[in-house]
Amino acid sequence: MKRLALFANQGATSSRLVGVLLLTLLTLAITFVLPPVADSQLASGAAISIVVLGLSWLIGWSGQISLGNSGFMAVGAYATGIWAHHHASSPIIFTFVLAMAVGAFSGLIIAIPSTRLRGPYLAGMTLAFSAAIAPLAQNYTSITGGEGGLFFNTLTTPHWFLNLFSGQNATIDANAQWTADLAVVVAGVTFFFMANLFHSHTGRAMRLVRDNDVAAELVGVNLPRTRTLAFVVAAAFAGLGGSLYALINATVTPSTFPLTLSITLLTLMVLGGIGTLSGAVIGGIIYAFSSNLVGHINSLTGINPTSNLGANMQGIIFGILLILTMLFTPRGIAGLGPRFGRLVANRRRVAPLATGE
Amino acid sequence: MSQFLSSPIMHNIFAGLAQGVIYSLVALSLVIIWQSTHVLNFAQGAMAMFASYVGMTEIDRGLNYWLCLVLSIFVGLLFGGFTERVLIRPLYGKPEINAIVVTVGFLGVLEAVAQAVWTSTTRNIATPLSQIYFHNQGRLVLLSPFVIFQFALAIVIMLFVAGLFRFTDLGLQLRASALAPEVARLLGVRVNRMLTIGWMLSAAVGTVAATIVASGSFGLYPSDMDGILIAGFIAAVVGGLESPVGAVIGGLLIGLAEQFILSYWSADLAPLGGIILLVVVLMLRPQGLFTKSVSRRV
Amino acid sequence: MIRVEHLTVNYGAINALSDVSFEANPGRVTAVLGANGAGKSTLLRAISGLVAPKSGDIFLGERSILSMATENIARLGVAHVPEGRGVIHELTIEENLRLGAFASEVDVRAGLERQYELFPVLGDRRKKYCSTLSGGERQMLAMARALISDPKVLLLDEPSLGLAPQVTSELMNLILELCHANDLTVVLVEQNAKSALRISHDAVVLHLGTVVASGDADTIANDKNLRHYYLGLVQ
Ligand SMILES: Nc1ncnc2c1ncn2[C@@H]1O[C@H](COP(=O)(O)OP(=O)(O)OP(=O)(O)O)[C@@H](O)[C@H]1O
Ligand SMILES: [Mg+2]
Repeated sequence: MKRLALFANQGATSSRLVGVLLLTLLTLAITFVLPPVADSQLASGAAISIVVLGLSWLIGWSGQISLGNSGFMAVGAYATGIWAHHHASSPIIFTFVLAMAVGAFSGLIIAIPSTRLRGPYLAGMTLAFSAAIAPLAQNYTSITGGEGGLFFNTLTTPHWFLNLFSGQNATIDANAQWTADLAVVVAGVTFFFMANLFHSHTGRAMRLVRDNDVAAELVGVNLPRTRTLAFVVAAAFAGLGGSLYALINATVTPSTFPLTLSITLLTLMVLGGIGTLSGAVIGGIIYAFSSNLVGHINSLTGINPTSNLGANMQGIIFGILLILTMLFTPRGIAGLGPRFGRLVANRRRVAPLATGE
Repeated sequence: MSQFLSSPIMHNIFAGLAQGVIYSLVALSLVIIWQSTHVLNFAQGAMAMFASYVGMTEIDRGLNYWLCLVLSIFVGLLFGGFTERVLIRPLYGKPEINAIVVTVGFLGVLEAVAQAVWTSTTRNIATPLSQIYFHNQGRLVLLSPFVIFQFALAIVIMLFVAGLFRFTDLGLQLRASALAPEVARLLGVRVNRMLTIGWMLSAAVGTVAATIVASGSFGLYPSDMDGILIAGFIAAVVGGLESPVGAVIGGLLIGLAEQFILSYWSADLAPLGGIILLVVVLMLRPQGLFTKSVSRRV
Repeated sequence: MIRVEHLTVNYGAINALSDVSFEANPGRVTAVLGANGAGKSTLLRAISGLVAPKSGDIFLGERSILSMATENIARLGVAHVPEGRGVIHELTIEENLRLGAFASEVDVRAGLERQYELFPVLGDRRKKYCSTLSGGERQMLAMARALISDPKVLLLDEPSLGLAPQVTSELMNLILELCHANDLTVVLVEQNAKSALRISHDAVVLHLGTVVASGDADTIANDKNLRHYYLGLVQ
């Protein structure tokens, strides 16, 4: 019996591996077709999708909310920048591990007082944290570069990859695509990790805590520890995403991760679908190409993109979408699939849900 | 005496309190909503900003300052009512995350729209009251007619809110609706209306805070209230989220903390005053400074 | 005064009441009896509009109150003391009482004085918070709060819960007295069938959401089978 369960579990793990692998390979293939600008957008989208996934896990699976993930991103980004200054030639994987560790650590610091706080308290606390990053960065100029921030150029495209390209803009093309491919691979690894976390013992405990903390405590789940763990994982993901984001842009400043980014992250997660892998993928794609979308809407409606209105269209659209999604389809785009599938096949798919439709 | 009023300590205290009353008002407005609907409104600052901007626009057209203040408050009332009716009402009984997400979305919309309509530059309302600091026997005292008006206005509003909740029938119905909506309904209280009124009242109080900011020498810009909202939120938590008095005191403490950090440590780090205070309070009294630690019996 | 016709109430998949009909009239106490989960509270909650019935109708006098909002039903003179009494602990005794007066046009001050006369314990401690009251005193407060608005109908959900036998008996006497004095229509939900039947004129027995018996309280009290199977009253 036990062996059977183990076996079944392994089957699930490998099917998850196959799924994530296929998606990663498909995306990598797409990067070959996309022009450099779109590749760069895709790279940022992949970085953001990692953060969205962490947030999705936090909100969808543990039922806690954070408006401070842009702060954790900033922490990861600064760690990356500072590390790059001193160890520019170390393998990139060290940078990522460092960014995750620093993110996780700051998550822990916030979580310890916060996990005793519920819902709105927690949201406000994390908001306060993310607002504290910029003042700190501005003050400790010698470490953070102050207002001007840090510049670094650690993402060097290897020669073999460069050699794949020819023509006038070979270097630009190669650099843009290398960045995108790296981001996609990192995202693929994190998605695989999260897919397994969702279905692990911890994942189930998390959902129990979310749905009924009293019952969870009765069956021996340690509430503060479980909540803290959820937070730390989300913060580590945000740190990694922030690191990647900073590497892609080769800079980090106090204004790289504004409060509005936290709102954007929340929007992407809700739009994509809370607590699902596909939701985070969708969120990343929306982020990557939202400027195209907004440009399209501007040109459709004849709004001058450089006017005040045009420049703020994205904020307006995102905000409205966030509200409408929450009011009308709180499971987001990823939730539409199963709902449709259920209509067709009358088969119940269990989607984690913090939104109580 | 005059020497005392002009001492560095008093400079800091006056400046800290002037900033603190703004936080207090925002904190108070958050507590009103929290008490009546158990929603923490992240759009509170943005709503207040928006209402003040509407008032300011009329000043540009030549309307009198006092009338603009009244107009802003009125717009704030409408805004609060609208938000509760349209955005929040469908979410009662749903997980509290839903309301948080919706108010965060509303915050995004309001700031983007304000930037689109009025640009992101700072705007300032000219007050009829002088912003020039007093001198006492040749020494500077960090108080001006405007700052005194600001204190007076804040005190009047706080007393008004406290009196309303404590002594009036409306206040009693508001409190009952928040504490036990079902029982209140059974007693004939129009609970839905009370929730709307709670939001209206709260938005109006927030609007006063934003208008004070806009009237001050630094003016107001569309995302200006973000930081103020955070400070107000911290003030409300420090006070225990249930206690209007606690919220007010929390706001004043944060104003003072920021001012003292600014003077004696670093101007850049001043925004951390609230967080530092919060961490200290959470460690000492996690339920907040002013919450009676009686567990609620059901 | 209150007439319930073919009422069916579901909570999701759970059927709480099916095809329940009964009538309660002025100047009479109508007992609604039954075991835990029989649907007694649900019946009162449906009358007050706190749950939406699936089918059936509810009349106050000649008027259907089926789809009315709870607060409007209250304003028509239906006072409902819910299970657990519904005293708001964070308010003072006087504030709780004042709340009760909003349902009607009565003069608050006069109403308060009348209730303080009826329940002197409350008058002595009017400024105290309700968390300081004993269970019996809370029941007094809940009754006073319901009566202050001069209701026509009084719905009581297990008023004897947690009270000593002596206090229960006094409470029942009071209910009967008030019913006669004010020509009140009283619907008295009780598990404590014995004390309820002692003062009731009519009775309805619910079992798993259906009416198994209704009629004259004395007849029901003396029906051997009912006593044995549904009312838990054994000789
Ligand atoms: N809110 C609810 N959701 C789902 N089921 C409910 C709900 N309230 C009551 N029920 C169910 O409806 C049935 C009737 O409940 P009700 O509270 O009316 O019983 P009751 O006769 O008042 O019992 P008691 O004497 O224990 O108060 C029970 O099976 C109960 O479990
Ligand atoms: Mg009951």
